[in-house]
Amino acid sequence: MIQLYNVTKKYSSDSVAVKDLTLQIDKGDFVYITGASGAGKTTFLRMLYAAEKPTRGQILVDRKNITRIRGNQIPYLRRKIGVVFQDFKLLQSRTVYENVAFALEAQGKKRYEVSKKVYQALKEVGLEHRLQRKPLELSGGEQQRIAIARALVVDPLILLADEPSGNLDLGVTLEIMELFKRANARGTTVLLATHDHSLNQRFPRRIITLDKGKLVGDQRPLPG
Amino acid sequence: MLENIRYFILRALRNMRQWPFLCSAAILTMAVALATVATFFLVVINVEQLAQRWTEEIQVIAYLRKPVPQRDLAGIIETLKNYPEIAEVHYVSQQDAMARFRTRLADDASLLDSMDADVLPASFELGIRPSFRNQEGIDRIIERLENTLELDDLRYGQKWLERFNSFVNMLRFVGLVLGSFLLLAALFIVSNTIKLTLYARRDELEIMALVGATMRFIKVPFLLEGAIQGFLGGLISLLFLMLSFNLLISRSLTSFWLTPGDFQLLFLTLNQQLGLVFSGVVLGVLGSLSSLRRFVRI
Ligand SMILES: Nc1ncnc2c1ncn2[C@@H]1O[C@H](COP(=O)(O)OP(=O)(O)OP(=O)(O)O)[C@@H](O)[C@H]1O
Ligand SMILES: [Mg+2]
Repeated sequence: MIQLYNVTKKYSSDSVAVKDLTLQIDKGDFVYITGASGAGKTTFLRMLYAAEKPTRGQILVDRKNITRIRGNQIPYLRRKIGVVFQDFKLLQSRTVYENVAFALEAQGKKRYEVSKKVYQALKEVGLEHRLQRKPLELSGGEQQRIAIARALVVDPLILLADEPSGNLDLGVTLEIMELFKRANARGTTVLLATHDHSLNQRFPRRIITLDKGKLVGDQRPLPG
Repeated sequence: MLENIRYFILRALRNMRQWPFLCSAAILTMAVALATVATFFLVVINVEQLAQRWTEEIQVIAYLRKPVPQRDLAGIIETLKNYPEIAEVHYVSQQDAMARFRTRLADDASLLDSMDADVLPASFELGIRPSFRNQEGIDRIIERLENTLELDDLRYGQKWLERFNSFVNMLRFVGLVLGSFLLLAALFIVSNTIKLTLYARRDELEIMALVGATMRFIKVPFLLEGAIQGFLGGLISLLFLMLSFNLLISRSLTSFWLTPGDFQLLFLTLNQQLGLVFSGVVLGVLGSLSSLRRFVRI
């Protein structure tokens, strides 16, 4: 699903965010991306949805080379990818329903299709009773679940999450992990950037470790 | 497709509702700019119309050294009428001139009793064809008259005509310069107002790009919004002009214009009114286009 070959990203000549990274992530994988602050986790994820272009190397997503992707093709790449952030990135002036519908509308989906899918996605994250609320009227955990509903409502091939529970307590974190696991069980490839090693202890999955932009570890849980 | 159009319109309207202050600032700016330009346009066409009326009254009066003998009169009138510049010829004999003078003096006419009937000179009053009611045309007529008649004096309000012509030309020029300047200024302000609304909505733009909206999809609502704002701006400027025009007329301020009695102030024709509103739409679209280009990146 995702392949990187000798990918390097420099923001300037003396700051290397990702260095000579080669790795492969298969369809249906669930992968933690870990590493200290500044290790390059965010940069790595941003290159996958073409928010950054690699300085060197090649990136393939869903068998397409996105290294030199043209601007007018980027939207079609992003429709395959759901992204969840630490700060949710919800529109405060819109209702919960509208925030989730936004992702479908942006893809030009029909209205009856939109309302059905939005309801399903919100039900999936347990917030179908909050349709007409504004994000700020909800708790942080609820807001993040809305952001996850927005990412998943389009049935993405890949879900990228950049420290999605960075600001949330353990209970909420576990709820969110449950949502990711369910999406993964339905076939979505999940990449989760996190500092939190306890997550891996609860839900052992493949861990890719970065340090100063370099790949320093790639462990899979022992079977059984 | 229909679904998209509906969505675009809804989004544009919602955006406007959401930022009422910025939105009305953009609309008012355009309204003011358009109204100013249109006002200037109205002044120019009305002054031109006035000029038209005034020049209609221009005639050349050729005073003769000697009255024309009765038997030559028909021939001379015929010759003069054949000149392409001359529309009408009217001969005023010495007796006619005296008679006019008498009527003008009215009660004091008896003063003239002791005078000879031939004190006043005979003259030709010449009406000029419209296309020759300018300095060149009059120069040509004078040349012809000097070849045809023995002239004593010529009257045609020459200084006045020259000055008036250059005044109208200057008015047109100033109107053109000021008009284009104002429209540019309006474009600039509109583009900046829309940039401001875009800035206020940068989160929304970012998220749209993030969830895979195409450039077209992101931009169209803003262009539509610009168009709607421009339309409203144009409409407001039109209403404002109509109101103030009617006020001007009802207060009969027209009487201050030293004008012929049947003179009517011109307002914009229906096409020009539509043109004004349409200019608003163009202004709005151009304004949002120019700011979108700089603002929206994926
Ligand atoms: N837009 C940018 N311009 C310049 N340098 C940047 C930019 N974004 C990141 N960097 C640098 O690249 C390096 C990697 O940053 P990145 O955000 O990818 O790390 P991270 O692993 O996500 O860190 P954190 O855990 O703190 O989120 C850092 O040294 C950072 O300073
Ligand atoms: Mg980061």
